[in-house]
Formats: sequence, structure tokens, C-alpha cells
Amino acid sequence: MIEVQDLTKRYAGVTAVDGVSFTVNRGEICGFLGPNGAGKSTTMKILSGFMPATSGEAKVAGHDVFTESEEVRKRIGYMPENNPLYPDMRVTEYLGYRAALKGVPRTKRKARIDEVLQLCGLGDVSRRIIGQLSKGYKQRVGLADSLVHDPDLLILDEPTIGLDPNQIRQVRHLIKDLGKRHTILISTHILPEVEMTCNRVIIINKGKIVASDTPENLTKMLEGGGTVRAEIRGDRPSVERALRGLPGVKDVAIEPANDDFLRATIYAPPRSDVRVRVFEAAAANRWTLRELSRVRQTLEDVFAFITMKEAPVKEEEGK
Amino acid sequence: MCCNLFTLWRRELAAYFLSPIAYLVLLSFLVLNAVSFLLMVNFMDGRTTDASVMQSFFNTFFYWVAMLFVVPVITMKLFAEEKRMGTLETLMTAPVSDASVVRSKFLGAITFFAVMWLPTVAYAWILNYFAKDATPIDWGPVCAAYGGTLLVGLLYISLGLMASSFTHNQIVAAIVGFVLIAVIFFLGFLSRIGPPWVQAFFGYLASVEHVSDFARGQIDLRRVLFYISATAFILFVTQKIVESRKWR
Repeated sequence: MIEVQDLTKRYAGVTAVDGVSFTVNRGEICGFLGPNGAGKSTTMKILSGFMPATSGEAKVAGHDVFTESEEVRKRIGYMPENNPLYPDMRVTEYLGYRAALKGVPRTKRKARIDEVLQLCGLGDVSRRIIGQLSKGYKQRVGLADSLVHDPDLLILDEPTIGLDPNQIRQVRHLIKDLGKRHTILISTHILPEVEMTCNRVIIINKGKIVASDTPENLTKMLEGGGTVRAEIRGDRPSVERALRGLPGVKDVAIEPANDDFLRATIYAPPRSDVRVRVFEAAAANRWTLRELSRVRQTLEDVFAFITMKEAPVKEEEGK
Repeated sequence: MCCNLFTLWRRELAAYFLSPIAYLVLLSFLVLNAVSFLLMVNFMDGRTTDASVMQSFFNTFFYWVAMLFVVPVITMKLFAEEKRMGTLETLMTAPVSDASVVRSKFLGAITFFAVMWLPTVAYAWILNYFAKDATPIDWGPVCAAYGGTLLVGLLYISLGLMASSFTHNQIVAAIVGFVLIAVIFFLGFLSRIGPPWVQAFFGYLASVEHVSDFARGQIDLRRVLFYISATAFILFVTQKIVESRKWR
């Protein structure tokens, strides 16, 4: 659906996007992740045909985004950053105008608008003036606009920015739903969003792609995938000695927890599981074991690891 | 393409009438013209003049104040507001060409300009209706005068539109627009001073003379061509400015 080859964009001396190449296949929900100023919005602006790249090429559905810009624009629904809308129009008026502009035939316009109103949960506010809507509703109007001509590809630039947690959840569900029919490229710096909605993640930093994989694989990629946490009641030196002696264990960190328990973090290589051995050791020594779990590395760790080029924090408090 | 232009034009026009500024502009324009018309009728009452009321109406101080000050206010928001709100991005990523966006904004402003002038047509009728011994209105020169007003309006609005495409600040757009229009307007006065070749050259810019010629019923094709081609050129430049985001 999207093919990007060596895309570079320079603004007055600053390289915003630097030789980026990636593809997004039909039907994927692809998350575009990166810190602020990484080049996410710039890449999306280029893909949507708002501005051309300095060099390299980008194709959407086989059409070049610069030379066949209008063909591309017919096929994408683009929601820019900060979701700009005309505050003086009513919701249905705005969608009607956008539908006409995007070439939805007059006879189908009404049905199509009703469809997106329903899809985006805008039925109750369809006659309201956009400027008077809450931010969550405005966001949905923006989404409805990007959907109104039933495009193959949706490009959404930070669609959940500035929403409260409930609204974020609603928008996330909506995006997941849309993913069944559309290919979606979504940018965000909210990590749980990507973990929950996307089936592929592209991490971009300082204009360059630093990782591109499924959220699961990216998480696995991190060292520490085999880390286990256990809470054990027993004599501290002997617990430490026994755990260190287990095959496959690289290191053990022990700290006291409440009720005489010890919290042990057991570091083991990725793709290994030392939980059974820990349990057996506890049983053999007659320790009380009240927790035994894998420390799940989140995308947040991957993100921090990749974009900051420093070791991730190994202790995950409260996770 | 043509449907797009129509859709965009309708949106531009709607944008005018959805904002309070439009009504303020319409109101002040009508008040200004009413004062102008009233003063003129009072002045001419009972005198013999060589110009009709309707002819003089297009040659007053008030007429040019309206033209110079109202046009930048009409055009200031066209691009500046879309840039400020970011809606230029949604607009330009819809399947429409830059050219049709520029044209639709221009046509929207021209339509508003025409709507603004429309009520003044009634003055001619009012004059006839209330005059003691009515002289029939000579509609030819009146139509020509409105035609001339529209031609000058084309040029001024295209200048205002260009000013609006420079910036995302409406006030700056209005001021730049006013300056551009004023420069053209005052250069026209050079047609009254200096050596003949200077006078001849600046005669092409002398809007005051042109409109009063039109109001006398004298339609000069050179003037018509000048305003239309100058407008086309400025719209072309505006389109390039809008496109400049692509190569900056």
C-alpha cells in the first residue's frame, strides 16, 4: 500500500527525514513511533501530498505521491496533527463539504455521511457547530472527515493527542475497528496505543528508522526478555546462593519486601524460562513462594532503549 | 474540476456569511455610501450640474475610501486564516489543485464584493421615485459604472488575496493588502504630473479616471483588458506563492 524508498526532507539546513525506507502492506495497522521532532509528521505530510520530499520516492497504491498527487489524495484519508477543522460549520455541513470536495457522488453523499456519523459516534452532535464541540468530538469529526470518501489508506497524525483516558480508549477502539477495512498508518508517542492497536511498529528517531517489527518481536528483541521476579520467604544469604546456583541464571538482585518476604529479580538470557527451576529450588528448600512471574518488557522499554541508546531500566516498578 | 471549484466557492461564500465581520463590513459600507449619496443629493438639489447624480456617485471621496479600505478587509482572511488554523493542510491534501483553491477564493471574494455593491443599485431607483420631476435614469452609464467598479475590484481583490497568501496573520494580510492597493491607486495620480510619457504610462493605472470614464458611459477596451490581464497575472503569482511550500 505504501512504499517509501530513501525518502529525505531538508528544511533550511535541518534534515527532518533522513533516507527513510519502509513499506506498509494492505490491511496493516502500522504504528509510527518516535519522540517529538523525529520526523513522523514530516513523513506523513509527504505521503499525503502536502509537500514533496527533497529526494527519494514514495508511492501510495502504486502512484507516486508527487507526480500523481491527486490520484494519491483520492485514495487516502489524512488527518493532520492538531486536527484542523472549520469551527464555524455544523458537523453535517462540514462532512458534506468535505465529501463533495473528495469526489463522493452527490447521490451517495447523504448515505455515506450518515454511515461515518454512526461509525464515529457523532449521531447526537451532527447538527452542532464544530467550534462548540468538546475536544473528543472534534477529534471524531476529524476522523469522520478522513473516512468520508472511503479511502484505502488512512494516515492519522497523533489522533489521540489531548484526549482524556476514556476518549483515548474510544478512539483506539474505533481505529482498531477501522483496521478491519482500511490500511492505517498512525503516528503517536503514546506507547500503549501502539501496543494495543497496531500489528506493526516503525520506530523513527532523528529522521531515521531505527526499528521496524511487530510489537511482540520488538519486545522480545530486548535483552532481559527472560527476567523473572519471585517473592520468597526464607533466609536471605541462602536464597541468594541457591538462586545464583541455578543453571541459566546470570545475576540475582534481592531486596526485602513486606511480611518477611524477599523480592528477587532473577536475570536470565532472553527466550529462556527459569521459573520452573526457581519453583523447584523453593520446594526443595521449603521456602514459601508467593509470587513467580516474568518481568514483561514493554514497548516503552524498547522505545527508550532504541531512541536514547542507553540500557533500559531493568527494574520495572509496579508492573 | 469544475465541480470542485463550485464546492470550494460555495464554502468560501459560506465562510463570509458565517462570520460577523462580513455583516460589519456590509453595514459600514452601506452607511458610508448612504452618507455619500445623501450629501451629494443635497448638494445637487436645485442646481444645474454637468454630471448626473449617479455619475458623480462613482467619483467621490467616499467611493474610493470604500474601495481602498473595504477590499483588504474582505480578502485578509482568505489564506491567512486557513494557514493559522492549519486547515490549509486538510484543504490541500484533498484531491483539489492549488489553482482551483486560488480561483475559488478569488471568486468567493468577488462574489462578496458584488453582493456588497448590489444594494446601491437601489439609489438610482430611489432618486427617481422621490424626485419632484423625475428625469429618466440613463441605465447605460450606470451599468458601465458598475462594470468599472467590478473591474477595479478584480484587481484590488487579487492584490488582497496575494497579500493574504504571504502570511498567517490576518492583520498583516490586511495591512500588506492595503499598501499594495494604495501603491497602485496613488501611482495613478502620476498621470497628472510630469512629462507626457510619464503621464501616458501612469494613465494606465489611474483608476480614478477610469471609473469616472466608465460612469460617463465611456467604455474603453484598453482599460478592460488592463484590469483583466493584471488580475490574471496577480492570481498566477498568488498560485506560485501557494505552491512555494513545495520547494521551500
